Amino acid sequence: MMDFARRFFSRPTALFGFAVFAAIVAIALAAPLLFARGPFNIVGMPLLPPGAPGLLVGSDVLGRDMLVGLAFGARVSLLVGISATLCAAGMGVLLGSVAGYYGGLVDDLLMRVTEFFQIIPSFVLLMVLVAFLQPSLESAVIGIALISWPQVARVVRGEFLTLRSREFVQAARTIGMRDAGIIFTQILPNALPPIVVISSMMVGNAILAESALSFLGLGDPNLLSWGSMIGGARSAMWVAWWTTVLPGVSIMVTVLALNFIGDGLNDALNPRRRR
Amino acid sequence: MAGPLVSIRNLTVALPAGADRPLAVDDVSLDVGPGEVVCIVGESGSGKSVTAHAVMGLLPRGVTATGGRIVFDGVDLLKETPEAMRKRRGRDIAMIFQDPMAALNPVVPIGRQVTEQIRAHRAISESAALKEAGALLGEMGLKDVPSLLKAYPHQLSGGQRQRVMIAMALSLSPRLLIADEPTTALDVTTQAQILKLIKRIQSEREMSLLFITHDFGVVSDMADKVAVMRHGRIVESGAVTSVLGDPQHSYTRALIAAVPRGESQLPPAPEARPLVQVTGLTKRFRRGGLIFGGTTTVAVDDVSLTLSRGETLGVVGESGSGKSTLARCVIRLLDPDAGTVLLDGADIAHMKEGALRPLRRRIQMVFQDPFSSLNPRQRIGDIIIAGPRAYGEDPEEARVRATDILRLVGLNPETMDRLPHEFSGGQRQRIGLARALMLRPDVLIADEPVSALDVTVQAQVLTLLDDVRRQMNLAMLFITHDMRVAAQVCHRVMVMRHGKVVESGPTRDIFAAPSSDYTKALLAAIPGRQTI
Repeated sequence: MMDFARRFFSRPTALFGFAVFAAIVAIALAAPLLFARGPFNIVGMPLLPPGAPGLLVGSDVLGRDMLVGLAFGARVSLLVGISATLCAAGMGVLLGSVAGYYGGLVDDLLMRVTEFFQIIPSFVLLMVLVAFLQPSLESAVIGIALISWPQVARVVRGEFLTLRSREFVQAARTIGMRDAGIIFTQILPNALPPIVVISSMMVGNAILAESALSFLGLGDPNLLSWGSMIGGARSAMWVAWWTTVLPGVSIMVTVLALNFIGDGLNDALNPRRRR
Repeated sequence: MAGPLVSIRNLTVALPAGADRPLAVDDVSLDVGPGEVVCIVGESGSGKSVTAHAVMGLLPRGVTATGGRIVFDGVDLLKETPEAMRKRRGRDIAMIFQDPMAALNPVVPIGRQVTEQIRAHRAISESAALKEAGALLGEMGLKDVPSLLKAYPHQLSGGQRQRVMIAMALSLSPRLLIADEPTTALDVTTQAQILKLIKRIQSEREMSLLFITHDFGVVSDMADKVAVMRHGRIVESGAVTSVLGDPQHSYTRALIAAVPRGESQLPPAPEARPLVQVTGLTKRFRRGGLIFGGTTTVAVDDVSLTLSRGETLGVVGESGSGKSTLARCVIRLLDPDAGTVLLDGADIAHMKEGALRPLRRRIQMVFQDPFSSLNPRQRIGDIIIAGPRAYGEDPEEARVRATDILRLVGLNPETMDRLPHEFSGGQRQRIGLARALMLRPDVLIADEPVSALDVTVQAQVLTLLDDVRRQMNLAMLFITHDMRVAAQVCHRVMVMRHGKVVESGPTRDIFAAPSSDYTKALLAAIPGRQTI
């Protein structure tokens, strides 16, 4: 474990990604404590520039403190990103491992279902789903999970296909282990590294998807998110750059940090890529 | 005789920091005279390959020669520039490798690969080079050369590929040929042919040959001189007759003693009611062809056998003979297409998985590859109690039993909390055996259990298997490609080829008077049969 941490943090980008992500998590957790009045509270004139008295990064079109908005937006982004990824990873692991372990007809059927989700334009599907379910935090999570799981399922299936012919898996069969035991205690632990890597990247993608939904007004109306901040301020884009640029940069930095973490995990977990 | 062609003096090669020892090669001195065959023999990790690669100037990254000289024809190779070494490789010194599949480029036809080598060093046209390549391949005993030149590596057999590699190595008439375990990946009959070929070429061309091997049988067939290496040092060297006939160092003696003799020592097992009865077992593999038929290979073709308690039946055959498929059908890792497998009268060949499960524990298996047969992420204790737990045994009780079983297979029970990568190949095979024995099986199937092990470790594991068989009164089905190994542990032997049984009977009789030509060829191909 120490060894793993050393390999991970020896990459400057991984260290940077981890530090940034940790900071964002801290801000998101601390937001209700720091800003007890919430993000919708109007504090002054609209479109005050950064540096105006009491407003570190300015105010938005309705005169709300941008800083509070950004902090609360991080909560929504992380919550949606992480929970959608957990759902997608769970589904992908389950279907991918069953397909890869049993092969044959089961594999064919499950892979056709996976392909179905991969060939329809995923964002259109997401919009339709969320609109159909009523825009809310839950519908965003469900929708994003539904369009993300095929990626995990593919990777897991591939891992299972190679691992199931290894002799330790055959040995598990000869000592009378049941299929569920073989899948979860023998093969899955060996397939974890790529799942962890792909999941960390998926969090980034989920955050992007949530921002896009909110930008289009399909986010939870009771919550302020980075996407809805950009969406609400787009008419003021030319007169008050900070209203759109700051949430945009927040999204970018978060996703970048997650991708760096994913790269770092990939190198640290994959012994063949070690130099 | 003039001075040696190659003279290695006090060669020292350092390993990168963090390796299991600081030096790969430690103060090694060795001469290879013109037209002389020198074998370096040793177990894995002895530094024999690194020595050969140092001569070739092909040390892996991070591994560097830190001292000594390698004088080739008056020039110290260690002081040569990389470009000068590149020119020497192939022209002065050529090398053949263990795995010809990995050494050949899979997407380039054979002819082009040979001509590339020639044209890298000599300014001749492609067609002239191709002509030379054809002649060389013919000299290597390859048939139908014109179509071979157009073939791709995967279309050739292992023996053919190794012949192509040798042709490539010889294409520029090097003065020194280095052969790094060139026959280890080959079947025994092919090995015999390739060794003969190398020997013939070497004496015809009066080439010097540096031959790396782990097999004393091969040494006795090939070498003029031999150097025995261990832990990076030469422990003994000299003329092959004196080293083999009168070994001085205890390690050399141990190595020679560990070579299986190819003589049966076990008496035939007493006749008993068979525990396992296999009749007419057939397994076909179909490939491709949802619409257009596809191809069918018959891997096991109408095989019958019986196996009683307390006896070991050896199934011997070369790769592709169906011996492993047979074993996997008996233990029902594969479903046979036809035939019956009676275990105590119950036919397990076509039983449904649910009905089969209670019977599975009675047949256990030890696998070939000590590195892939243990889950790398599970602790040893968990690995060996997984079986009993799957059958509902209390984990604590199983753990207590596990300590006894670990002792039985010669491991310290305190190793239970460790992970597989902390063990050597031989120790892992012991763990694999412990896992099988935890279920108190009646039948043990050993699928090439020692083929990945060094010869001294091999001897220990074979002895252990035999002891366990006797103590637990097991019926053992022993799959191997090595007649010598079969002779050592099997009461009866069954020789397989192309999925069919060629011959079977008591080991002694088969070795003393083989009735089929194929068995005779297998026995004749055992390296070093005359001398060792």
